[in-house]
Amino acid sequence: MRFLRPTPRRIAVLVAATIGVGAGAAYAASLSVGSWHLWAGSQTLTKATCTVTGSTATTDTYVTQATPGGTNGNSGQIIVQPNSGSQDWGFVRFDLSGCGIPTTGGADSATLSLFLSATPGSNRTIAVTPVLSTWSNSLTWTAAQSLSYGSATTTFTTGTSGNVARTATVTADVDALIKSSSANFGWRLTDTGTGNHTTTFASSSDGTASHRPTLTINYEK
Amino acid sequence: MKHLTKALAFSLAVAAAFAACAAAATLAVGSSKLSAGNASVSACTSSLAATRNVSNAGNVTQVNVAGIPTACSGETLSVTLVGAGNAALGSASATVGSCGTACSATLTGFGTVSAASVKGYSFGLTGA
Repeated sequence: MRFLRPTPRRIAVLVAATIGVGAGAAYAASLSVGSWHLWAGSQTLTKATCTVTGSTATTDTYVTQATPGGTNGNSGQIIVQPNSGSQDWGFVRFDLSGCGIPTTGGADSATLSLFLSATPGSNRTIAVTPVLSTWSNSLTWTAAQSLSYGSATTTFTTGTSGNVARTATVTADVDALIKSSSANFGWRLTDTGTGNHTTTFASSSDGTASHRPTLTINYEK
Repeated sequence: MKHLTKALAFSLAVAAAFAACAAAATLAVGSSKLSAGNASVSACTSSLAATRNVSNAGNVTQVNVAGIPTACSGETLSVTLVGAGNAALGSASATVGSCGTACSATLTGFGTVSAASVKGYSFGLTGA
């Protein structure tokens, strides 16, 4: 037990060792705390709906292969026809400026509604293709051949009943449109089939307001 | 032996005091509840804003975060899509790349989440 005999030197060594161990542990922990960057935050979205319709907010027409220089911008109809040599293509676009959607917003959903003003002879499939270059309601078949087009966004079927609205989902196109408001060129409507089948939609010049093309957008900002 | 007893008692008291300090520091690290306001933690930004892209079906395909300060370069950005009742609808993370004046990040892989159900975004930035 002589080695346990307390001497001033042994006491000093014991205390110093204890302080050293304890201080070392605390110092290492403090270093670990101070080495991190942390930040957390959030963003709340506002949801709203905008419906665009009417003759002033809508530009639409159709072009006819049989009369390549003709215009139909003032017609009350948008005619679509797949027959080779006498095709008809429809065009429609909407002015979204009245919706007040900022370019930082986006579409949650967007639906294009077209009114079938005549009964189709058979069920037709209509392709909705984004137009990527500018056009007006004085568009001709010849000029339409020089426009740029994207890939078809969607298709919809007409059914065989007339005087009903048909809808197409165009969410992705409208979302992109919102984010780049300068690139609003609308859509081309074409029949994906063949043969002599005419599909007639009401245009923005139709006398009945509820029959005119409509774009309904549920959006966030 | 009396001196030895006193010396041992003193040593134990000192050790206990330092051990308490070390334990407190370790708790702070392990709890992951440090905020930007803590003196020992800093943040590289004070706000972020996001936009998102959607598929034609209306599902979120990616989230874009722009205007991230260059001080956040190299840090990990986590984004959670928040729905009604603050429910987490999907999460993804990405490393903020190096950049000149302001950084941006594009996050994908949120799963199938309807954009209509997203009421907001929750952000987290961590890094050394």
